[in-house]
Amino acid sequence: MSLQPVDFNLLIGATQWVIVFGSFIGVFLLVAMATSFPMYGLAGPGRVVAGALHGLGEFLSPSPRRVYAIAMLTYKESIRKKALLVFVVFAVLFMFASWFLANPSDRPDMQVRNYVAFVFIAINMLVLPVVLLLSCWGLPEDIRIRSLHTVVTKPVRRNEVVLGRILGFASVGTLILLIMSTVGYVWIQRQVSSDVDLFCRVPVYGDVTMIDRTGNPGLGVNVGDIDETRSFIEGGTRAAGVWTFPLNEKADTIRLESRFEAFRTFKGNMDRSLRVRYVLVNEAKSLRVPLPTFEVDEFGTNETEVARKQTWTDEQTLKTNEVDIYDDLAVTSDKGTYGALVVHVQCLDRSQYLGVSQGDFFIRLPDRSFATGYIKAVIGVWLKILVIVMAGVTASCFVKWPVATLLSFSVIVIGQVARGFLDKILSGKQAGGGAAESVYRLLTHMNDTATLPENPLTSTLQLFDHGLQHGLWMVKFMIPDLTSFGMSDWVARGFDVPWQGVMLPSLAVTFGYFLPCLLLGYFSLSLRELEAK
Amino acid sequence: MNNLTSRQRKTSCVVGILVLLVPIVLLGMPASGQGEASGGVLARLRSAHDLGESDLGQIDPTSATMNLVLLGLRGVAVNMLRMDLDHYKDTKNWAELRATTEAVITLQPHYIEVWKFLAWNMSYNVSAEWDAVPDRYYWVKEGGKFSQEGTRRNQDSPELLWETGKVWGQKVGRSDEWKYFRGYFLKDPDEETYRGSVDPDVNPKQMDNYLVAKEWYSKANNAEDRHVQHIMMRALFRSYPTRSQLDYADALQREGKFTGVTVAAWQGGFDEWTGIYGAMEFKAPDCVLHMEANEDDVRQMAADNNVSEAVVQRWLKHYQNTTNYRYWRTRSQSEARAETAEAHELIFDGEQEYRKGELDSAVAKLTRGMGLFAEMLERHPDLAIEDLTAEEGMWAVLLWQKILELQQKPVPETYPLKFLWDHHQGLLGELEDRFNRLGL
Repeated sequence: MSLQPVDFNLLIGATQWVIVFGSFIGVFLLVAMATSFPMYGLAGPGRVVAGALHGLGEFLSPSPRRVYAIAMLTYKESIRKKALLVFVVFAVLFMFASWFLANPSDRPDMQVRNYVAFVFIAINMLVLPVVLLLSCWGLPEDIRIRSLHTVVTKPVRRNEVVLGRILGFASVGTLILLIMSTVGYVWIQRQVSSDVDLFCRVPVYGDVTMIDRTGNPGLGVNVGDIDETRSFIEGGTRAAGVWTFPLNEKADTIRLESRFEAFRTFKGNMDRSLRVRYVLVNEAKSLRVPLPTFEVDEFGTNETEVARKQTWTDEQTLKTNEVDIYDDLAVTSDKGTYGALVVHVQCLDRSQYLGVSQGDFFIRLPDRSFATGYIKAVIGVWLKILVIVMAGVTASCFVKWPVATLLSFSVIVIGQVARGFLDKILSGKQAGGGAAESVYRLLTHMNDTATLPENPLTSTLQLFDHGLQHGLWMVKFMIPDLTSFGMSDWVARGFDVPWQGVMLPSLAVTFGYFLPCLLLGYFSLSLRELEAK
Repeated sequence: MNNLTSRQRKTSCVVGILVLLVPIVLLGMPASGQGEASGGVLARLRSAHDLGESDLGQIDPTSATMNLVLLGLRGVAVNMLRMDLDHYKDTKNWAELRATTEAVITLQPHYIEVWKFLAWNMSYNVSAEWDAVPDRYYWVKEGGKFSQEGTRRNQDSPELLWETGKVWGQKVGRSDEWKYFRGYFLKDPDEETYRGSVDPDVNPKQMDNYLVAKEWYSKANNAEDRHVQHIMMRALFRSYPTRSQLDYADALQREGKFTGVTVAAWQGGFDEWTGIYGAMEFKAPDCVLHMEANEDDVRQMAADNNVSEAVVQRWLKHYQNTTNYRYWRTRSQSEARAETAEAHELIFDGEQEYRKGELDSAVAKLTRGMGLFAEMLERHPDLAIEDLTAEEGMWAVLLWQKILELQQKPVPETYPLKFLWDHHQGLLGELEDRFNRLGL
């Protein structure tokens, strides 16, 4: 399955962040003011405002020297706690990895994919638990042995303690990550056969729509695949997939690359694969320039070089004309500097089907080095480390270390693994309903697709689930979405990590959680009784 | 609370540990390698029942290490990997699927069903997902090689040996793509790696796929002498090496090779069917019997088993019907004759001539072929009621009639194979469809 491009709009994301963060602050202040009445009477709200302003003042003027000192202290403490022992496990893993992974009959693309996946799984599995435990144990341990008590009596502000801790643990994680990723890079280079090229494709994805067998806009055919990512184009008809690619730079040739799936309703001619044709289209100018037909290389890559100047024959006048992709074929579009190129993809074999999805077809810009993609994927892991450290340190500011560990672990698991499941529940697509309804179905041995009987009990259960869903909806926005952080899959499949849709949302999530975490940590630590063990 | 001091509690714990160690040592002490009697109870039992790692097959240090490291969580890990495997199959991530297959088997190296399932999954399911025939063949090989690896780790498993034979025999020789696959078996499509030769991991002796399958089935039979198999009735299981020889001869015929090596292959098949397989003894509920038996043999078997001849006859018939023994005996005997080979060749050539538009030559060859075919059926009337034979005869008559029709000549009142034509009119619709599909 091809990797699919993801749409991400920074402006919309930032607006949502401001709304959520602003609402959170507003609610926090209102609750604080309300609770201040019983304690301080009418002067309460004023004290709250004054306290908030004081906190803000402290917050906005941290001392870099003190933050650095605490960060260094945290770093040294982590090293003293033998965090670097993780390298022993790492070394053992890499020494024996080839036992598990080496397979002489592997195809080159399979080799690369498995080796890259292994390196990143190993790094993730080793680094993330270490930074999680370090960040969750640090502050509670300081409170327990009362070393924090000594620190806060010095002219160190609480926000500087939180910030210093975050930076310190992040630097330990960064050091481990740097060493491991360097070793991993060398290991991949040594493991992959000498005849295999390591590189990163740079794709330009387009928007896709479908034309049905009658030539009208419609949907693709569903051939019954469990995975519904692809739609299928019926062969030998007017059905087509229509891609609109933005043109942002001019070149003498455009390289098109695709990975389509073939679906045969009968075996047909086994001497060849299904035949596919691209047609460059500009409806406004009535231009349809078909490119040479090719046989689809299923699960492989189909590469087509398209020259800027194309000759085509007008079917009406039978005259041969020359057209320029940028001057004649490009359609007006605000997405591309030079407009957009519309390509129709057709299957030419009657009663056979071609499976397509948006990510299956793209314009391939000049390749980048493997190191470029690899470094970006490492940055993805690094950003994940930052988020974990922020979550761990923040949680450890208001709860003890076992609870902080559990809380941070849950946040990461939900953010990374269970995000899809969460979305499915909230969108109502999860078969079997919510938690209460699922228990009812389990106890009554009812299939999750069967209609629930209408009675007071089921209505109550569904109402209860409805309430839970609202809570879940709020949780969804509080837990960081870490799905885009796993960038290694792009590199493993020979792609550069895209900025839009992968790098940008990861960076945005990391920065988006930085301020709330710091703020929460600061106020929690300020309000916490540090004498309590 | 008790009244023991700290030292007393510690001492009692140490004593308890030592007491518990005695049965653990007695039960679990490893074998010293000095014969079957060495080691603890479990080690001796393992040795007695051939259940030790080294008894089962080649030891894989990775697998042993992983199982040790995972402690009791092997089942959990395997379950998760199997779910991943299904996910990769659904989303068509073949590289991940292949890697996960290896991971699963690393954790379950002696679980025969897992080897069988994963090998079958690659050879049959994954291969069918690919469009290009060389790609499909690659996955058939992956499944077959995986199964071969399983036989190395589990050397005494007749089932795994049989499954390996099935991939090289049935999958390569009987798929829709059999013409390609059989060719690839002798000249691998991966030119870059194998330089136009065979894949040495699959076919080191550069033999026909059915003969390679025959070797695996023979190994399965050898293993079956020591360990019971649970795939099918024993008489059927034991027939596979010889059936492969017969399939080999049949495949040569399907490819249009009728004389020389094909006749020799059929003769070899007949000899093995009657001389080796027919002489094998099988234990029926009431008697021990062998299938190549005349009246004297039946009498002898009845006497040896102390039962009546009727009982032996009944079980013999049952076994012969189940294994299709008489059909293959007659078929191989008939096909081993030069006249039969000539009949097949003439019918095949007649069709080729017709495709080329050489109608006179086609009629002449088909007429002669039909004549020889009719003689063969007279010699072996049992074959006339067998579908494949009847189909070939009917096909020859159909072609012959179509050509006469094109030549605007009447079909004679009598002709060779008329009795077959009249008797098998039920097959005509399907043959007409085939004729129309071929566009002849």
